[in-house]
Amino acid sequence: MEIDKEKCVGCGNCHAVCTMGVIYLDEDGKSVVNQEECVECRTCYRVLRNEGYRPWFVRAVRKILGVFRLGYLAEPDVCPTGALTPPPLQWPRSIRATFSDPSTVHEGTGVHGRGTDEIKSNEVTGRLREGDVGFVVELGRPGIGARFRDIQKVSMALAQAQVQFEPENPVTQLMTDTKTGRIREDVLDEKVLSAIIELKTRMENIGQVLRVLEEVQHQVDTVISVGIASKCAADGSVVHESLVRQAGYKLSPNGKTNLGLGRPLFQER
Amino acid sequence: MTNTLHRQGDVESLKGDFVVFAHTAKSRNREGSGPKIREFMRICLRHNPVNIGDAKQGNVHQDDIDINKLISQQGDGAAAAAVFADMESLQKVIEDLIRADLGICINVSGLLEEVRACCVKAGIQRHSVEHSLGFWGAKDRLPERHILEIHTMCGHGMVSFNLIRKMIEQVKLRRLSAKKASKILAKCCECGAFNPKRAEQLLERFSKGIT
Ligand code: SF4
Ligand code: SF4
Repeated sequence: MEIDKEKCVGCGNCHAVCTMGVIYLDEDGKSVVNQEECVECRTCYRVLRNEGYRPWFVRAVRKILGVFRLGYLAEPDVCPTGALTPPPLQWPRSIRATFSDPSTVHEGTGVHGRGTDEIKSNEVTGRLREGDVGFVVELGRPGIGARFRDIQKVSMALAQAQVQFEPENPVTQLMTDTKTGRIREDVLDEKVLSAIIELKTRMENIGQVLRVLEEVQHQVDTVISVGIASKCAADGSVVHESLVRQAGYKLSPNGKTNLGLGRPLFQER
Repeated sequence: MTNTLHRQGDVESLKGDFVVFAHTAKSRNREGSGPKIREFMRICLRHNPVNIGDAKQGNVHQDDIDINKLISQQGDGAAAAAVFADMESLQKVIEDLIRADLGICINVSGLLEEVRACCVKAGIQRHSVEHSLGFWGAKDRLPERHILEIHTMCGHGMVSFNLIRKMIEQVKLRRLSAKKASKILAKCCECGAFNPKRAEQLLERFSKGIT
């Protein structure tokens, strides 16, 4: 994101809205974006309504109010002068927007946001069948952001644990080799709001995957949100629950349920 | 919608937070799904969702969003979501969706046992389930638990920690009502998974120092 210094009146509204907290006031009293840390999510641009005032007008109003010792407080969800300017993005920087702006569609999957499928259409795709378990390992979430260099550390560690990376997942599509989990060199320094490594393995391998995550989590400078999924038994019970508990981990009371209403139903032989 | 998986909070608070969303798969049920997704939205609307929208066009709490226009423009594969603040509404929505037999995939995020009970009452068994295993890695970089309770209602991370802090402060100073502040937070979440009603209740509590 860029800020048009001719227009900015330094009200600071964008500072709080920025998902990464990377907008600050420059010495000239105008705001500026730390380009290294901005993930191009466009939240600032989308959320702050452009009031369309001329900068000279806002400054004059402020000056007059200042004479009477009154402050000028803009509504918190506006940019008074429309100074936020999304720039055209070139590769590899454009990958930041693809992963961070949920209104962007991933070309490979046709899915918005981070482009994962998990169990959301399991009844029609049969992605997770009896005995399979899926993991979603999301780096950068909640609210910290992640560089692909860290994402690669985790994907390479997981690749050692007899897992199958989901071929349609956008992170998998950035891998140069799905056997090693290595990610293409030119994106490694790019930062995104979050990215999800999506994989499946067999139920009996749950403990091994969790052990790998246990170790590699200390090697990254960001947070990781982990999810686990499987197809239910005929009576609606969840097979992975007892296995996760046996491995010594706690499951959340809330989660996601696929109701199984999609058609045509995938037929497992 | 991995974004609805890691919602934080105690069970009592989560009892008022269910996200119902439609999904389709390429070459399975995405092609020709536009009218079905629009019908999904109409069914959800009938049961007073506290939020509704899609990832491409935004949600009902954003500026200049007309929900009927949004629905009419939804095409094949639109990522549609609606949030309900009580189990009675959720039960009715599930029953209506089963009756409508749209053939698109329907998922619900929320307390798993409560959702299971709704399914059983409606005469179906759930197909697949996903749990959160929580947060790992550099957890020392995370803010206080109560900030995360609001933040995780938009799993895409569009509701910044700093904006939540600012809204708590504004409510505390009575510059904004909790309702207005929660609406500003809901504006940030693009796909409509954020629950402004729950956010309002949490802002009321947090602004009084109860975390
Ligand atoms: S909201 Fe607009 S005018 Fe205010 S500081 Fe940010 S860019 Fe400048
Ligand atoms: S695009 Fe996102 S990260 Fe960049 S300045 Fe705006 S809100 Fe912050």
